[in-house]
Amino acid sequence: MVSDSALSAAAKQAEQLRKDGNIYFKKDRFAAAIDAYTEAITLCPNVPVYWTNRALCHRKRNDWLKVEEDCRRAIQLDHSSVKAHYMLGLALLKKKELDEGVKELLKALDLGRGANPKGYMVDEIWQEIAKAKYLLWEHATSKHAWELQSLKYVIPRKYFLDDQPEGFLDEADISHMKQLETLRQVFRKAGEADIPDEVPDHLCCKITLDIFCDPVISPSGVTYERSVILEHLQKVGKFDPITREPLDQSQLFPNLAIKEAVQAYLDKHGWAYKMD
Amino acid sequence: MTSSSAHPRKALSKIACNRLQKELVEWQVNPPTGFKHKVTDNLQRWIIDVNGAPGTLYANETYQLQVDFPEHYPMEAPQVIFIPTAPLHPHIYSNGHICLVSNTMDSMNQNICVICLMKKMSFSSFSDILYDSWSPAMTVNSICISILSMLSSSTAKQRPADNDQYVKNCRNGRSPKETRWWFHDDKV
Repeated sequence: MVSDSALSAAAKQAEQLRKDGNIYFKKDRFAAAIDAYTEAITLCPNVPVYWTNRALCHRKRNDWLKVEEDCRRAIQLDHSSVKAHYMLGLALLKKKELDEGVKELLKALDLGRGANPKGYMVDEIWQEIAKAKYLLWEHATSKHAWELQSLKYVIPRKYFLDDQPEGFLDEADISHMKQLETLRQVFRKAGEADIPDEVPDHLCCKITLDIFCDPVISPSGVTYERSVILEHLQKVGKFDPITREPLDQSQLFPNLAIKEAVQAYLDKHGWAYKMD
Repeated sequence: MTSSSAHPRKALSKIACNRLQKELVEWQVNPPTGFKHKVTDNLQRWIIDVNGAPGTLYANETYQLQVDFPEHYPMEAPQVIFIPTAPLHPHIYSNGHICLVSNTMDSMNQNICVICLMKKMSFSSFSDILYDSWSPAMTVNSICISILSMLSSSTAKQRPADNDQYVKNCRNGRSPKETRWWFHDDKV
């Protein structure tokens, strides 16, 4: 039976090891950091931070299997660990398990936004999600395009099974050709959403000229990207960039309707996830 | 030939790059009338050909604008100057520096300017969009349109009253942003 004082001694030692690990990490000495965290884990296996810290070291060394292991363990200990879900998501993406990876990233984004909406982690997580969604869209489109292509060739061929003497077009032929043209139009329309185009103006910020990530609206009714309008208020002046009315940070509110519209647009036009 | 500020320019930030690339694409689709962007691979410096609008003093004349973007564009205004020989205009100095008053003051700005002896006075009725009244919502496109409007509304092909003094002051390569509030008064 371990006494209380022995337990707290172990905890203290584990914390010291964690601090050592952090120092090694800062100096890019990842192997040493891993050793320190491992010792900490051995002493106190139920502290989620030790696992996520170690996972971060594995990530630096691109040891994705170990990242996954450590993250899963951390999640078991703490369902709401942003870092654990985030790194697990990344690890799954590396394994090409795109759907599962995106799910974990979204969970991390959700938890991260709840904790600290303006934190740098939220931006980073969102970037990774956008990359993954773009990849998903690429896969889906090329599969889609291939299917459309093969259909395009298969169906018309079926129409002209009977050999007709050249130059002689009867009414049946003409109506066939009309149907073919209609069919081609249907295929063209089906592929339209997949063609990269310009994102409509009302879904873009007037300062970044890019699609909204976190839109907020000013009292003048103009919507801006949150991070950019805050930067403007801080660096340029306390006025609405477009109407020049006086503007303060406290007067900005999230534009939930535009946010939903952006999400709907991205769901339909996956190519728009490409944000570089 | 070109006068940029004496210190070397910092490279564009990521935000500035993204935004300029978007502006470039929009320009290619929808260029402002009378302007042509000379294509180079330098995103940080745009050279733009300007054609005087028909029916104005500068009809059939071409000039060149040089637009230099700072690191923190669009939070910071770009530097816009004419490459000499600059058009003869009451608001354009012979070294190409521009005093650009916004169009909201069109009826007042043509011949009414005020001398400010190197001190910033508060002109509530004037705005100076390239310098203190910059807004990140402005684009190269909107700046060009303002410049064309400034040219078109000119009634005399002449240099600003304090041209020689101003140009002498800028001799060591000062950027127009540093020599602010050099307005000129025809009344003097």
